Amino acid sequence: MTGENILMAARYPFLPEAREFISRNIDLSLESLEKTGSEAALKRAVERVKNALIFKEVKVTALDELNYVREMLSFPIAIILVSMIMNEYIRRMYALGESRGAYRRMLNESDETLLYIGEKMGIRGVPDNENTIRVKIPTYLKLAYSFHAPHWKLVNRAVNNGYVLMGKTEYARLIQVEVNNYVYEKTLEPVPAEAVPNSFKRAVEEIIEVWNRLETGKASRIPLREREDTPPCIDRIIKRMENGENASHFERLVVATFMIARNRSVGEIIEFFSKQPDYKYSVTKYQVEHLAGIRGGGKKYSVPSCRTILTNGLCYPDEYCKGINHPLRYGERNAAGEPRVS
Amino acid sequence: MVRGMLQASLEFLKREFFKYYYENISRLVPPEPIRNREFGFFLEKGRGMFRHKCFNSLRDFHEFILNEIPLDIYVSAANYEDPGNRNMSEKKLVNAELFFDIDAESVAIVSEEEPAWICQKCGQHSIGLRDGCPSCGSPTELVRLVSERQLKEALRETEKLIRVLTEDFGIAPENMRVFYSGNRGYHVHVNQEDFLNVTGEGRREIVDYLLIQGLDEKELLIFLKRGMSIGSVSLKGVKRRIYARVVEKAGSVEKLRASRRETVLKMLENVVEELKVRIDPVVTIDMHRLMRMPESINSSSGMVKRRIRLEDLPSFNPLEEAIAFGDEETCLKVKIAPRFSLRGRTFGPFKDEEVELPAYAAVYLICKGLGEYAGR
Ligand code: SF4
Ligand SMILES: [Zn+2]
Repeated sequence: MTGENILMAARYPFLPEAREFISRNIDLSLESLEKTGSEAALKRAVERVKNALIFKEVKVTALDELNYVREMLSFPIAIILVSMIMNEYIRRMYALGESRGAYRRMLNESDETLLYIGEKMGIRGVPDNENTIRVKIPTYLKLAYSFHAPHWKLVNRAVNNGYVLMGKTEYARLIQVEVNNYVYEKTLEPVPAEAVPNSFKRAVEEIIEVWNRLETGKASRIPLREREDTPPCIDRIIKRMENGENASHFERLVVATFMIARNRSVGEIIEFFSKQPDYKYSVTKYQVEHLAGIRGGGKKYSVPSCRTILTNGLCYPDEYCKGINHPLRYGERNAAGEPRVS
Repeated sequence: MVRGMLQASLEFLKREFFKYYYENISRLVPPEPIRNREFGFFLEKGRGMFRHKCFNSLRDFHEFILNEIPLDIYVSAANYEDPGNRNMSEKKLVNAELFFDIDAESVAIVSEEEPAWICQKCGQHSIGLRDGCPSCGSPTELVRLVSERQLKEALRETEKLIRVLTEDFGIAPENMRVFYSGNRGYHVHVNQEDFLNVTGEGRREIVDYLLIQGLDEKELLIFLKRGMSIGSVSLKGVKRRIYARVVEKAGSVEKLRASRRETVLKMLENVVEELKVRIDPVVTIDMHRLMRMPESINSSSGMVKRRIRLEDLPSFNPLEEAIAFGDEETCLKVKIAPRFSLRGRTFGPFKDEEVELPAYAAVYLICKGLGEYAGR
């Protein structure tokens, strides 16, 4: 591995290079981690998670990069710590923090490097003319469907011969989604409690303490409920709206699209919104009908994805959220409906 | 599915279906790998679907068909690890073909033939267009048979679909199979490696693209109002197609520049209507969909879901080429039937009469629930 590559693996520790470097040079079994002088890496791992919780972004400085062994090692350790905590919110925040940090750094990379990272993450990009990059449609769909803004919709994209064209920034956004997915999936893997060194347990406590501090003053954690249809994020907004609390535009969008997806009638939804302090029948009716696709070209708005809800600070996951990427999947990962025929 | 009918009719159908399957069984080849597909059948009239069925080999599948002579045969668009499992999530979906359905009805033109009507209350019936029954005033049910013109229209829509799939989605012709559905429309199956794993959400995006739903018109409007030529705008895909068509309809970019915003907006709307591909969205989004088996009989019409080679598309006539049965004279008691054409011959209209028809036309009316078998 060249020096430059090593620095890059430190900057983007989710790259296979980082994994290879570690497995070639360091014994990553839990028992030996304590002995390999991984003290510093453990400390940095805690910092990673704290960064994610506090700043919603894991920052990597030039100095961190120079400490490349510590840096690369801290990433898998941070994942172990997050898996140990077994808290859905922390899992999601950590994945978001890592992916956001990576996104920020990628924006400063050369086209060549960016394409290289994309390739390694399974998002092959082909340089097109004038600062544009082409990505295969299926790859694009896998990552972009979760963005809510209209310009991400396939119908609004430059599509040609199996590819979607985009700028560098957008390409980096797609990679960010994949990094998020990758990190999140990793934190779902269970860690055998017996094998965990004590120093790790202390690190976990430290993270939980920070988290508790951040949580004071906020709504208490959602207790595990009987499995219901309504995911906790939406349940929470509904409860607050029922108490007449004024909801933000985005919160209303989430609730309305969710109710539409659950086949509630426009009338029922308007009735529900009537408790809002600034309620106006005509305005609400117009907006709900718009979301339901009754107005405005017949486009029915979808419920925002978990990632969008999380980014808006409204994700309060419970155990039934585990592994899902969309609120409508709540409690039923990989579930499938009854098929029909054609 | 075959509606309520007399035993004699059903037996006649089964005999005719048997002849077809016996002769054509080798044409019924499900998509590979057969052991990963779920199959479904309607075996008897009025009974629910017999499904979650799987086969280990083509031979088993053929044997089953010749033994049971199903009224309808379906195969999943999806591959499953355990296709026979009755629990949908335990079937474990591996991937699924892209599947498109274009229905003549959604293409929105009405058959030029006069329909028939049946009173839903007293059962009175006749040829013509009537909303209310002349004797009791109750609402009537209109009976319309699909016409050649409607099917042509649906075929044009299918060609539109194929063009977009090829030009925009980069689907190779060899990965695309086109079928007449056997009744009122067309099916397109896409079996291209990289698209097999597109999820339901991704398929929804493909559907919106084809139906031009959720289009952001702002950019288009700006370019159009500025009167920019197609060569100078950096548009691709559906937006480019829309742009080019608006310019074409307007006559020139100068005219566009001079037009009022509302006029341009209206033109844009019309062009979207013209260019959108009228697929059934639900069908494409649902990865667990069961598709009618290629080359099997559609019991809503007695015609075959027939494969059409791409080069034959422009001239394909289903009412000629998808007919499964011979022309042996068959006696039929017909309650009511509007005029219809098959294999270049026109039949009817009929009202409360016993008629002699070639077998294919007799099967057609029985399947439509308009006639009963009377003998040979
Ligand atoms: S459904 Fe998604 S967004 Fe809502 S709480 Fe669960 S994980 Fe968060
Ligand atoms: Zn009547």
